[in-house]
Amino acid sequence: MKYLKIAIIKKVMLGTLICLFVISCKHTEEKYHNVMEKIEGESVKYKAPSVSSPMINAEIKTVLVEEGETAFLIPERKSQISSYNCVECHTEPLSVLMQKQVDKKAAHWDIKLNHANSEIMNCATCHTSNDMGNLHSLTSTTIDFNYSHKLCSQCHQKEFKDWKGGAHGKQLGGWSPPRLSNTCVNCHNPHAPQFEKRWPVRFNTEKVKERQ
Amino acid sequence: MSNNTKKWFSLNLNRTKKSEACGCGNNASSCEEKTPKDGYNQVMDVSMSRRSAFKKLTAGLLIGAGAVSTSCSVISGDESKEKSAIEWDEYFKGNYKLMTDKEKNETVNRLVRSYELRTGKKINLSSKDAEEDVLFGYAFNISKCQGYMDCVNACIEENNQDRASQMQYIRIHEMEDGKGFNFEESDDNYYHEVPAEGHFYMGTQCFHCDNPPCVEVCPVQATWKEKDGIVVIDYDWCVGCRYCMAACPYDGRRFNWKTPEVPEEEVNKNQHYLGNRLRKKGVMEKCTFCIQRSRKGQNPACVEACPTGARTFGNLLDPDSTIRWVLENKKVFRLKEDLGTEPKFWYYMD
Repeated sequence: MKYLKIAIIKKVMLGTLICLFVISCKHTEEKYHNVMEKIEGESVKYKAPSVSSPMINAEIKTVLVEEGETAFLIPERKSQISSYNCVECHTEPLSVLMQKQVDKKAAHWDIKLNHANSEIMNCATCHTSNDMGNLHSLTSTTIDFNYSHKLCSQCHQKEFKDWKGGAHGKQLGGWSPPRLSNTCVNCHNPHAPQFEKRWPVRFNTEKVKERQ
Repeated sequence: MSNNTKKWFSLNLNRTKKSEACGCGNNASSCEEKTPKDGYNQVMDVSMSRRSAFKKLTAGLLIGAGAVSTSCSVISGDESKEKSAIEWDEYFKGNYKLMTDKEKNETVNRLVRSYELRTGKKINLSSKDAEEDVLFGYAFNISKCQGYMDCVNACIEENNQDRASQMQYIRIHEMEDGKGFNFEESDDNYYHEVPAEGHFYMGTQCFHCDNPPCVEVCPVQATWKEKDGIVVIDYDWCVGCRYCMAACPYDGRRFNWKTPEVPEEEVNKNQHYLGNRLRKKGVMEKCTFCIQRSRKGQNPACVEACPTGARTFGNLLDPDSTIRWVLENKKVFRLKEDLGTEPKFWYYMD
C-alpha cells in the first residue's frame, strides 16, 4: 500500500516535471538571441521580395557598372553635360584653338581646377587634347564619360571600394533591387570635389525657447 | 451590418436601408464569433448581471446621445450624418494589430472619406502589410554627415509633422572632435556655417530596436514591432501615457501636446495608416522609416534628401544589399549596445 502511494507520487511528480519542461521550452517568442543572429538565420532562406525598386527615376537614363561580383546602375552622364558633344567646338587641336581665341571669356571660363595640386593634376590628367569627347586614364587608355568612375578610382581606391559596396555615395532608386547609385561626378564636381561649407537649412526656434 | 466579422456596432441612421442591430448586451450571444474579442465586443460581449447591464447601457446611452442627436436630426444634411457615422465607427474600431485585412480596408476607406468630407480633397492612404523576407536596417556614416540638416526638413514634409511645435523626428548632433559621443556637451540646434572646424555630426532618430523597450511598456499595446522590423504606433489606440517615451533610451519618441497642424497645400497625401497619416492631439509619434515609402520599395525621405550619402537604408536579409555590405565590411557600432535593445541602426566611419 505504502509503495503504491510512493509510486503514485512519483508518477505525479514526473508528470509535473514533463509538463514544466514542455511549457518552459516553448520558444514561441524569439528564436534568436540578437539581431545579427536573426539576420544570419533568416537570410539563409532569403527569397527576393516582390517589391522592386519603383523606378521613380524612370526618366533618368542609366548605364550598368560591372565590377567583379557587383553590378549596379548609375545615371548616364553624357546627356547631362551641357556642352556635349565636345567635338562640336573642338574641331581642331587645342593649341590651334587657343591661338584663334579672341575673347578670353571662352566656353570654360567658369572652371577653376581645385583638385589635388598642380604637381599632380592639370586638365590633361583627365582630358585628351586630341580627343575631347573622351577621357583617358594614367596609361592613356580611353575612358568613356559615362564611366568616369574608372578615372577617379585610379587615385581614390578606398572610396571606390566603398562605393562599389554601397558604403560611399548615394542610392537613388530605392532600397529594393535593382540598385541605382549616384556615380562620383553626380555628387562631386570633378574640378573641385570638396563639399562646400554652408548654413544648415533648419533652425529650431521652439527648442531655443524651451531651453531658456 | 449583417457580416459577423464586425467588432463593433454601427450606426445606420437614415443613410442606408437596412439596420440589423446585433448587440445591446442581452442578445450578445447571437453575434458571437470565433475571433478574439476586440473593439465593441470587449465591452459588449461579456456575460453580466441585469443590474450592471443597465448601468452600462445608461453610460452608453449618454455617449451615444451626442452622436445620435446630430445624425438623426432632420435638419442636418446627409454629409454630416455620414460624418458622425464615420466618427462612431472610428470610435469603436479595434486595435489595428487585430484587424483582418477587410477591417483594415474599411478603416482606411473611412479615414479617406472623412478627410474628403472635411477638406474636399482625396488622400492616398495605404494599409500595406510587411513583405516576406524583408527586415529593414539603417546605417549612418559619421564621417560623411556635414550637418546640413536637409534630412530634417525632408522628414517634416514627408511625415506631415506639426509645423508650429517643431517637434522633429531626426536630431543632428554637433559633437566636438576628440570627445567621442558626448551627448551632454553636444548641440543639436546649432546655426552657423557647417561643417564647423573641429566638429563632427551624427544623427539620431528612432532606431527600430529588435528588442524594443517602448513596446514592452505600452499598457494598451498601441505600439509594436512589425514583421519587417519597423516599430509602429496605432495612433487611434494610443492613450498618450508616454510610458514609451520614458522607456526609450534613445530619445526616439515624440508627443503631440496639441493637434498637429499642417497647411493644407503642404499635406503629403501619400500616407500609410501606421505612418504619416494626420495625427491628433495627445498621441505618440516617431520615425517609421517612412513606412509609406519603404513598404513600396523606396528609401525613406531622409535618405533621399541627404546630399552627402551619409545615410544607407536597406533589407538586412538580402545578402547582396548595400546595408549588408556596410555591416560586413565597415567597422560598425550601435548606440548603447549593452542595453540589449538591439537597434537596427548602425554607425560607421570611413
